[in-house]
This record gives sequence, C-alpha cells and structure tokens, in this order.
Amino acid sequence: MAAGPENVPPFIAAQLSHLLSHFRLTVKVEQMWSSDKYNSGPLDRFTLLIPYCLDFIKWDIIFDVESPYAAPDVIFGPEDEHFHPFHMHPASPDPSFSNCLSDWNYKDPSRLLTLIQFLRDQYVLYQRKRVGEVDDDRLKFEISTILSREGIEMHMSSGAEKSEEVKFAVPLLDMNINKMVSCCSWRYSQKIYLQVVYPVGRKYMTAPSAPRLKLVSSPELKAVFSIDDVKLPSWVDGMCLAEYLPNLEEYLGKQVLEAVSLIEVRRHFIEALANPFGRPVEADPVFCRKATFLAASGVFTFLVHFLIPTQFPKQQPTIMLQSSQHFNSQMAPIKSRPISDYPWSPRWEPLQMAERICEFLADEALNFKRQCSEGQVQ
Amino acid sequence: MDDPPLQKIAISGPTLASLIQRFSTSPSAIHGLLYGHVTDLPATLSDDAAVEASPTLLATVTAFLSSPDPHLSAAAVPTHSAPFLGWFSARRRSPLRPSMREFSLTTSLSSQSQSPNPKPSPFIFLLLASPPSDPSHIHTHEYRAFQFCGGRFEPRSLDVVNIGPAFRGHYGAFSPSSPLPPLRYGPPRGSPMSDDGEERLGRLKQAAKDQRKLDACADGFDVGRLSRMMGSEAKSYTEGLEELYQKMLLKIENLTCLVEKTSAMVLEQLMWSAVTPDVVMSAKIAEKTHCQFDPSGKLTFGNFVDKRLESLAEALVE
Repeated sequence: MAAGPENVPPFIAAQLSHLLSHFRLTVKVEQMWSSDKYNSGPLDRFTLLIPYCLDFIKWDIIFDVESPYAAPDVIFGPEDEHFHPFHMHPASPDPSFSNCLSDWNYKDPSRLLTLIQFLRDQYVLYQRKRVGEVDDDRLKFEISTILSREGIEMHMSSGAEKSEEVKFAVPLLDMNINKMVSCCSWRYSQKIYLQVVYPVGRKYMTAPSAPRLKLVSSPELKAVFSIDDVKLPSWVDGMCLAEYLPNLEEYLGKQVLEAVSLIEVRRHFIEALANPFGRPVEADPVFCRKATFLAASGVFTFLVHFLIPTQFPKQQPTIMLQSSQHFNSQMAPIKSRPISDYPWSPRWEPLQMAERICEFLADEALNFKRQCSEGQVQ
Repeated sequence: MDDPPLQKIAISGPTLASLIQRFSTSPSAIHGLLYGHVTDLPATLSDDAAVEASPTLLATVTAFLSSPDPHLSAAAVPTHSAPFLGWFSARRRSPLRPSMREFSLTTSLSSQSQSPNPKPSPFIFLLLASPPSDPSHIHTHEYRAFQFCGGRFEPRSLDVVNIGPAFRGHYGAFSPSSPLPPLRYGPPRGSPMSDDGEERLGRLKQAAKDQRKLDACADGFDVGRLSRMMGSEAKSYTEGLEELYQKMLLKIENLTCLVEKTSAMVLEQLMWSAVTPDVVMSAKIAEKTHCQFDPSGKLTFGNFVDKRLESLAEALVE
C-alpha cells in the first residue's frame, strides 16, 4: 500500500494544506488513497471530515491524477443522496460559484477551500430545508422562533434502524471568549453550543416531551471552563426553546465570567507558591493550571507538580512528587501518587495556602524518599 | 414533462462485459453514452387493482460509446442506429453513489436530449466503480443503474441478458417475421439415374473422402471409442489414450522438423539472392546480414550461420 504525504501530487497537496490550515473549522482528512488499480499510484482521492451540527459529515473528494487541470468531484454521504449544491435554487443557480468549478485553476491553492466553504454553506441550507419539511407542529413553531439566531445548524437524521429525529446546534453566548483570556493560544474561536434533539413522528402524544439537551463546548475550552460542571436549568412542560435559551445564556454567561476571573486567582496562588519554594521550574502562564517547583529535603532533591483545577480554590490542587535521583526499571523517574487529601480551606489567603502545603510536604517528602529507595533499581 | 417510469433496465451481457473491459483497461475514469431501446413489457394479468399502476416499461441497453473526455454534451451526441438512452460513468476506487458532477451532467444531458423529442423518453444513468478499500490484487467491479426523473436518481434493477434457457422469457415477445423458405413440391424431374442422381453420388463420394481424411487424423480413435472414457472401462482405456498422445507428439515433432527444414531453405534462398554479380549490392547485403568479404574476395559469415551455408556461398563465388 502506498501511503504518506510524499505520494500526494503537488497540485493536490497545495490545495489540501491550504484548506487544513485556513478553514475556520477543524477539518480532518480521514484517509487518502489512489485511483490506481493496484493502489500504488499517487494519492489523488481522500475523505474529508467536516464538522457540522456538533458531528462530522464525510465527503469524498475525487481528484484525477491523469487530469490535474480538472476540478475535483465530490461524493456526499449515503444519507445525503438528494443534496445537490448546484441545483438548490433551480431558477437562479449562483453564477459566482458555478465559476469556482468551471474556471478551476489548479495553481490557486485556495480553490478547494472556497469550494468546501460553499458546499458546507449550501449543506446548512439543505438541512434547514429538510427539517422545515418535517410535519410536526411543535418543530415548526420552534424553528420559526429561533431561526433568527445566527449560526444555528440543524440536522435531520433518518436511518432505517433508528427513529427520525431532528438535531439543533444552537451557539450560545454572544461573547468572544478568546478575547477574554489574555495571551491565549487558541487558533479557533471557542464556542459553547446547546444540542437539542427532538424526536419526530410520535403524533399520538398529547403533550410533547422535553427534548434531549446537552451542552457541548470546543475541546480547548476545558482548560478554563469545564462544561460538565454546568447543571442545565430544568425544562418545564410546554416550554419552547425561545423561552429556555435566555435563562440558560444568562446563567452560563455568569459561569464563564467567573471561570475567566478564576485564572487570576490561580495566578496569585502560583505567585504565592514562589515564596516558600522559590521560582517555579515550569508554569502555565495563560490558564495557570500547572506549575512545577524544585524542592529539596536534605540531599534528596525532587520536583513538585501542582495540577490546579478550574474550580480552584473551591477544589484544592493535586500534588505529585517526582524524584530527580531515583528511577524505576524502565528508567523513568519515580513519581508519587497524586495527592489531594492534605489540609485545605478555600478561605485561606494564597500565602497561607502555600505555607500549609510547604509544611505538609516537609513530612510527605520523607515518606516519598522511603518509597523511592525501596522502589529503585540498583 | 414527467418521464414515464421504468420497471427495470436490461443490458445485454456482451455490452456490459465490453464496457467493464474498456473501463478496466483504461488508465483513468471513462464516460460515455448509452444507446438502446425502450419496450413495453407484456402486461401480467392480475386481480389486484394496484398492479395496474406499476410501470411496464423496459429499457434495454444494446450499445455504448465511450470517451475519456469529461465534457460530454448531448448536442454532440453522435448518431447511432439505436436511440440515445442516457450515459454512463466509470470511475475507479470510489463509492458507488452518483457524485456532484454526475448529477449536474445528468441534469444537463437529460434536458438537452429531451428538447427535440416530442414524446418524453426515460433517461438512464449507469454508474460503474470499484470499491475504495480493496485488497490490491482482487479487482471488483460494481455497477448501479438509475433512471433520472423529476430531478432525482431513482435506482432501478439492472438485468443482464444472456443467451440461454434462463433468459427465454426475454425472447417471449419475439415473433419470427422472415417468410417461409420456398418448398419444392411436385414430382422430381427425370429418373434417379439422371444427372441429378449423379450429382448426389458425387456428393456422397466427397463425404466419404472427407471422412477418410478425418479418420486418418483420429488414428482410429473414433467417437465410438471415445465414449469408453466414461465409466468402469476408463481405467484400462487410459493406456490406449496415452498411445494416442504419443502418436500426436510424434506428429508434432515431424511437423517441427518440416518447419525447420523449410526455414533453412528460405535462408538459403536469401543467400542466393545475396551473392549476386553486383558486388556493391552484395556488400550492402553482407553488411545487413553481418557477413563480410575478406581480401581474397571470399565471403565469410558471422558465426550465427552454419558451415553448410558457408560452403555453399563459397562454391557460388567461385
């Protein structure tokens, strides 16, 4: 099997790398393969995983190594057989985008990105149209009240094996979290979404049941704010999404602001730790979730790792000791278990926290030293 | 302008086979046009009223025209003896679903092909592909047929029509239209011993002669004896058969001897013409045949020609 980026023809590699590094969402390439009978030729087709509605859509992009001047072809997923992006509005097909295929220029590396962006936008409209065609009064009402929200995405899933349901991905909080965290290194804009799933086709039910609700955030946000700690407000019978969302957003907005303000609290704590331990060997300057100090007890030298939770100071940091003199049989430095059962009070001043930890470690260091000399290979 | 729905699509075995052959030997994807005819299936009688509404049209693909050029256009549809039915696309290692381009092409082709026709005819699309993940030395060909109607692909079953008892139903609607051959009746002219009879005798003689020739080839192994190869006798019969094979081998050996001799003779003739009185000419030929004249005027050959020929040439030069 031929694999590896060296086998991708340059005219495809340029388009693909531009797409992967400039698209506003995280696009992934699932697999690449060759059109050659024996799969030994250049890799000219690949499957793209494109985020949509808190899930992925898989599209196969078919280039042809025999005709590099030609625009690529796209094969959509098996459940989207009626998605025809260039025939959505039969009266007036958008000429500017027909051009993006007919005037395909393989030398311009941004062409694939333009095409995928256009196709994804059309896909949003296509799914919205499908959901709009569902014969369900509640759903029709919900759509009419929340359609004005920007960036809302819908998905209609209808598999043979599962019952029909409509999924909404509602972007929450019109605030730029990236800007709130100073010097953050996030490439993509951090967002929190509410996933709402309505089951469809149970007409006999008199009172519509509550939809399935779930908060989803971009994975990098976990460094500041853990979505799992948020308790969703309860859904009252007969409620609609437009009623539910303002309360949730208000609540969530406060939580996010608090979480961001906690970064400073953690920073003060790390600064306070520098008093008894000296300057940290390593510390996370953006989210202040980690810090490592060098400590010594007599001649025994060891590292102290602090893992500070997002709920700090309500939750105490987890401490882990790592010897700089003892190694196990795999030649890895010996580490202690994560320690989080030492004396703690969230009401202490940062300086007091640091001193109490230092006192605790003075005793713990002796235990750890004993553990090291027992576990060490001679 | 709604196309009449098809019940199914049929393709003749040889057409499909040659289509797959064309696809598997081409370096990249191929496209092309399909030709054939649309017929009414004989209606099946049923008590069920719902069956009445089921489509009874059958499209049969009988020919195709392929081109590697992706810019197909119905305006450029070459005229063919059979009516234009649709198009096909064959692409390697890709999912067996119509792609974005194929949908657009089908839309434009079907709208172009409809305009001159007063009566709407069904438009079909045949998709051939090989699976994307496939152990590299097994070649799988998959195909799906669609009817394009109302702006969407409707999958249709594809019947492969071959010749044989299983396909007799397909020829059920066939009615022979050729006239009866002329029958000669009335008393034969002349007596059996006239020239008519002589002619018949000549034919019999010829047949007997042919049979003798055939028998000589079979070396006594006539059809009757071959039947003994089956059943309990077969074991003892193998010896006889081996003998036959020996004889056949001998014959082949004789034949190769003959071939060898004749080719030697051909080479000799070449040398005859090479050693012409024209010295310049012969020098040219010698150059071509890797021979050379030595100073004494003798012709010496490259060592690929045997001695016998050399002596022959010497005699000629003298």
